[in-house]
Amino acid sequence: MSEEKPVPDGLSRGQFIKRGGAAVGGALLGGGLGTGVSWARPIDPTARDAAVGTIKIGYVSPLTGADAGFGEPDPYVISLANKAFAHGLKIAGKTYKVQIISKDAQSTPSVAAQVAQTLISGDQVDLLLSTSTPEVVLPVIGAAEAAGVPSISTTVPWESWWLGSGNSFTSPKPYQWVFHFCFGVANFFDTYTDLWKQVPTNKTVAMMAPNDADGNAIRANLFPLLEKAGYTIVDPGAYEDGTTDFTSQITLFKQKNCQIFNTFPIPPDFTTFWRQAAQQGFTSMVKIAQIAKTGLFLSQVEAVGVKLGTNLATGVYWGPTWPGGSSLTGISNKELGAGYEKHTGRYWNQQTGASMALFDVAAAALKASGNPNDKSAVASALKSLKVRTTVGELHWGTGGKSNPFPNIVVTPIPGGQWVATKKGSKFPLEFVFCEHEDYPQVPIQAKLKPYS
Amino acid sequence: MNWVNDVIQGILLGGYYGIIACGLALMFGVMRIINLAHGDIAVLGAFLMYLLLQHWSVSPFIALLPVLPTMILFGYVLQRLVLQRSLRAGILTPLLATFGLSIVIQNALEQSFGPDVQSLGGQAGSLVTAAWRINSQISISALGGLTFGAAVAVYAALQLYLSRTPSGRQMRASAEDPDTAELVGINSRAVYARATAIAIGIATLGGLALALRSTFSSYSGPDQLIFAFEAVVIGGLGSSLWGALLGGIVLGVAQTIGSQINPEWSVLSGHIVFLLVLISPRGGLLTLRSGRRAPASLPQAGT
Repeated sequence: MSEEKPVPDGLSRGQFIKRGGAAVGGALLGGGLGTGVSWARPIDPTARDAAVGTIKIGYVSPLTGADAGFGEPDPYVISLANKAFAHGLKIAGKTYKVQIISKDAQSTPSVAAQVAQTLISGDQVDLLLSTSTPEVVLPVIGAAEAAGVPSISTTVPWESWWLGSGNSFTSPKPYQWVFHFCFGVANFFDTYTDLWKQVPTNKTVAMMAPNDADGNAIRANLFPLLEKAGYTIVDPGAYEDGTTDFTSQITLFKQKNCQIFNTFPIPPDFTTFWRQAAQQGFTSMVKIAQIAKTGLFLSQVEAVGVKLGTNLATGVYWGPTWPGGSSLTGISNKELGAGYEKHTGRYWNQQTGASMALFDVAAAALKASGNPNDKSAVASALKSLKVRTTVGELHWGTGGKSNPFPNIVVTPIPGGQWVATKKGSKFPLEFVFCEHEDYPQVPIQAKLKPYS
Repeated sequence: MNWVNDVIQGILLGGYYGIIACGLALMFGVMRIINLAHGDIAVLGAFLMYLLLQHWSVSPFIALLPVLPTMILFGYVLQRLVLQRSLRAGILTPLLATFGLSIVIQNALEQSFGPDVQSLGGQAGSLVTAAWRINSQISISALGGLTFGAAVAVYAALQLYLSRTPSGRQMRASAEDPDTAELVGINSRAVYARATAIAIGIATLGGLALALRSTFSSYSGPDQLIFAFEAVVIGGLGSSLWGALLGGIVLGVAQTIGSQINPEWSVLSGHIVFLLVLISPRGGLLTLRSGRRAPASLPQAGT
């Protein structure tokens, strides 16, 4: 196929070298690029020789494919974790060498299942981490639970994680090996009601929930909560992902005079919808535009267009203004966000914190186990683990509000919005937190501005 | 009144489908190649415009000016070096070749531009949000109107080319019967390369329309291919030029009306119309009227 080369290769070479170089630099040099920052720890040169065993950690995330935006911070996060593990992990008086094996799930369930199998039976990992979207995480935890490998996962709403893995709310089956931390539908409710009272509206909500796992979970769980709280829900019904024309929905929303808009779409659908809504005069009626599942990263908001993207509101599961930081690396959240921006030249990405937290939990669980190569010791350590992470303190097995099921810790999702930056700023938009109902330690930066 | 608006929006949407379907129909009509990389080629065009706009802050329409000839050249070279060779090996090999090309383009784009979704709508200024409001229910978006107008212009230009120019006549002759065309001195390889060049040029316009109305990423090609393919099939499998545009309009109207009945039926009703046409004995809206033979009976090209 050498014939095709001229165009794709020719157009890409400059960019390819630039990006490839950055990625390789990230993986190899890690913290070395930012020596001024406090996360550059001294490395004990004798540590490697003293290691008595090896711990293998498998890490599955979407590095390519539709959800690759989530995997984008991974090279940076893994380089930080590798740096923290560089002098080994001391557990019960012994020092273990730690090896992180990162695999790309290609945003595809079948690939996720396949790489999980490779990690379990081929690499024989001691601990399996996975993150971002049900498509990636559910096959991994399925394989881990079946094979008896301890597993930690995040960035899948916990209801989707629990129901999607074949469990039920009414007759729950206990899991032995898989553990999860993430926000859930109730967090959306807290965040939305707290945000929406900051701007006066007629409390009529235009709801766009697609016919997929997340859309159906939202329709079943969030809509009734909002109706109970006094909001009128205008739901035109579930649409299919990939719909190209939204005229009927826009017409209905205009007829019902919806001043709040809320949606859970895949990112391309939102851009299509929002442009058509602008063309048909709906966006100028909307006082609050609350989006989820898209608008997570600045690049997604920029794709909508800076003008249409300004003042979109969303909930965020990690930010550099959050208190604390990573217990494994000793890096504060502020340093993590700044380090990522410096390293990649991009605006901070909320998945950076969530991915980092996976390694915080992993290190704490391995330490608490006493014997990291004993899988049941690691799993039983996870059952009551208490650990400080980038996304706050996580504590399994308390049975409280933050543990709806023993294997799950609920994390917060404070709300805010994308606002225009001053002229001459590096990025056209920035995210500011406007509420902190479920994590009061996150500082509020501004009051919610009306969308239009 | 909602129904009137749905039909209008559906027709405008059909203009978009018509543009992305046009090149697919042309390649199928002339060479019997189903170009599975058609959507990815449209996305490639969009990425080239995006690349230019990273360096110059101009309108996406200006960025089209250098990208369009580049893509046309790419189409010409692609046909000469890849597809022509695969045509020799029978009807399945070009299908596999374009399937491979689709994967190559997707991954090359992912390597070069990363996983982010992109859009050129931001650089097009108020065009993407402007609309003529006819009354409170009906509005015609500037972008939709422009896309539809461009689709009609593309089809009319292609019609003129095929019916009025010697080169166009050669193309029709090769499409009807490549062996006889060769006998009377037509170089079918050159004709095929021209057809692919034109098809990929039009796909680039489709890529621009996609980039303006929505977002694109390295993996958004296949989604575009499905709608383009359905439009081609509904319109009669490349046996009539205007069929693909009509097929696009039928698909667009089916989707907007389906969505009015129930939002879940938007994409589904398009698929249902597609399946109905596929199982109907006529096998396409314009097959009978065009007076040409059904595709299955056409001789294999490239031998």
